[in-house]
Amino acid sequence: MKKSFVLLLICMIMLTACGSNSNTKNNAEAGTTGAEKAKEITIWAWDPAFNIAALEVAKAKYAAANPDVKINIVEYAQSDIIQKLNTGLNSGTTKGLPNVVLIEDYRAQGFLQSYKDSFYDLSSSIKGADFADYKSGPTSLDGKQYGVPFDSGVTGLYVRTDYLEQAGYKLADLQDIDWKEYIEIGKKIKEKTGKALITLDPNDLGLIRTMIQSAGSWYLSEDGQTPDIASNVALKEAFEIYKEMMEADVANVHADWSQFVAALNSGDVASVPTGNWISPSITAEASQSGKWGIAPYPTLPGNDKSVHASNLGGSSWYVMNVDGKETAADFMATTFGSDSEMYQTLLTDIGVIGTFKAAASGEAYSQASEFFGGQKIVSDFAAWTEQIPSVNYGVHTYAIEDILIVEMQNYLNGKDIDKVLGDAQAQAESQIK
Amino acid sequence: MAKSKRFFTYLFLSIIAIVSIFPFLWMVISSTNKSVDVTRGRLLPGSHLLANFQKLVETTDLQLSLFNSAKISLTTTVLALLIASLAGYGFEVFRSRTKDIVFNILLLSMMIPFAAMMVPLYRMFASISNVAPGIGIDTMASVILPTVTTAFLIFFFRQSTKMFPKELLEAGRIDGLSELGIFFRIYLPTMKTTYAAGAIITFMSSWNSYLWPLIVLQTPQTKTMPLLISTLGSGYAPDYGMILIAIVIGTIPTALVFFLMQKQFVAGMTGSVK
Repeated sequence: MKKSFVLLLICMIMLTACGSNSNTKNNAEAGTTGAEKAKEITIWAWDPAFNIAALEVAKAKYAAANPDVKINIVEYAQSDIIQKLNTGLNSGTTKGLPNVVLIEDYRAQGFLQSYKDSFYDLSSSIKGADFADYKSGPTSLDGKQYGVPFDSGVTGLYVRTDYLEQAGYKLADLQDIDWKEYIEIGKKIKEKTGKALITLDPNDLGLIRTMIQSAGSWYLSEDGQTPDIASNVALKEAFEIYKEMMEADVANVHADWSQFVAALNSGDVASVPTGNWISPSITAEASQSGKWGIAPYPTLPGNDKSVHASNLGGSSWYVMNVDGKETAADFMATTFGSDSEMYQTLLTDIGVIGTFKAAASGEAYSQASEFFGGQKIVSDFAAWTEQIPSVNYGVHTYAIEDILIVEMQNYLNGKDIDKVLGDAQAQAESQIK
Repeated sequence: MAKSKRFFTYLFLSIIAIVSIFPFLWMVISSTNKSVDVTRGRLLPGSHLLANFQKLVETTDLQLSLFNSAKISLTTTVLALLIASLAGYGFEVFRSRTKDIVFNILLLSMMIPFAAMMVPLYRMFASISNVAPGIGIDTMASVILPTVTTAFLIFFFRQSTKMFPKELLEAGRIDGLSELGIFFRIYLPTMKTTYAAGAIITFMSSWNSYLWPLIVLQTPQTKTMPLLISTLGSGYAPDYGMILIAIVIGTIPTALVFFLMQKQFVAGMTGSVK
């Protein structure tokens, strides 16, 4: 025992000795950066295979023209970034904040409205109109453009074409369907193949969100503040469709992301209506190559405003109002803000479908995908991206969704729909002052 | 009768054991599988251990994070044990009219959730950075300092000191030892098991500590193991095999420390002086 304790102590002393060395090194670095602050910028983002990889491309491009600028890319999980931003902004000190940060569109207004002065107005660097229209809601405030719109969360209906055929359908039959027809197809598939049509997570109403956005509606009314639940026609329809899926016995249930992906990879479900970012997870199962296709998003039945396009997720870049903001804004404007050629690289190398309009006419966007049976999926997605209705995500998307998740269960258990939405409205109003 | 009672005891214990061991087992097994197999719930060992490990080493700065974590945890453990044992010893051995009040106030501090202190604490360290960048945000010191004294550890040492035979102190005093001498040459060696238990508790909580390091550490060079693991799960298409091997590696040190001091830990928790 004594020996191991001594060993531990020796280890510790050695470690601290080495440690103090590396500490001084760090301090030296910090010292030099202090002298020429504007030439070094820090960026926070998540997902090394996607956002970080895109940043690396932009960084290399920018470095070629501006060799004196040092760009530090720091990777954090999305929830970690939110936690760090909240603490940092809350404490009122700019110390430790990055120059550029990636924020999910659903959360962007929350940050912009609460800490408006902490973000840098990019109106003079980029044009909001250069990007897909639906992105302007989350990324701008009071007519000023704060965010550089990044990836598209455009949705599609991913389907197993082999299951479809067994049930007597073709991908072509799915080009203009609504959710009711979708469920009918699901019943046939279940009958013929025994496979579920869709897999749902009771704790994530992403599907509901996409349904109502396709009709230009959201949990909040256009001001982004007032909950719009009780009198929201699209939301009511979406709830009814959701229940119908459950009752028609065509839905599988999953509890988390890994089970979700597993359901796709194992071939247990015949379709996934979701954002285009699911593609890498689907193509990861190489044995299913050629068995998938992507149809336009179904519409809400009987809702004139509902289109065959919607959005799920997606995020944008924000420049913080701290030292180095001019350099950061310049970096953003010359890369993600205007370089349509770079977006071709991002697409072919990383699979990023951007929202920069000019990029959609590039060559990479019209490539056919072998995995998806030769379908030109990217040009389809790009076309759908332009149709996504713009809504104001407001500041309370997830707060309201927490309420709706509970009410959805009540609804599935037999509570009346108007009562369900009315109760949710009342709860939302009392919670959001 | 006795036999069947025994059977049920063992049955009960086996069930509990399986429930506690299964997640570990699954973690280790899954670290040898491909991501796709992990999500499918494959329970057989696969052949992807090396591939997962290689990918982890290539895509992350594993060594640096392990090193950072080790540095922080070991320093915290040694400092915390020293300070808390001195305090606990002082509270129990020395006589003072106000010590119980002070002690109760100290215990009250256990009631304040960390989330409530987070923002002020961050502000404090951010302003320290302007004066002394060596202990400001994004340094090892900023992670270590707030955790170096905990009311719990002081309480733990005070309780253990209650069982420490005071005659030894008298003997030391009569033989002319200074007060510090008594502490280091009599108290410390006698209370080894308490120190071992304290060391395990402190090391584990420091090694696994997540929220505060997340907030105060800013650069990839200072990332600790839990932060690294959290980052790995951030992708839209996370590689579960790689994440699990990282978790296995992140678990080894705490497991090692525990097994190394298991005997002392049990003795320390149940009362140290024989």
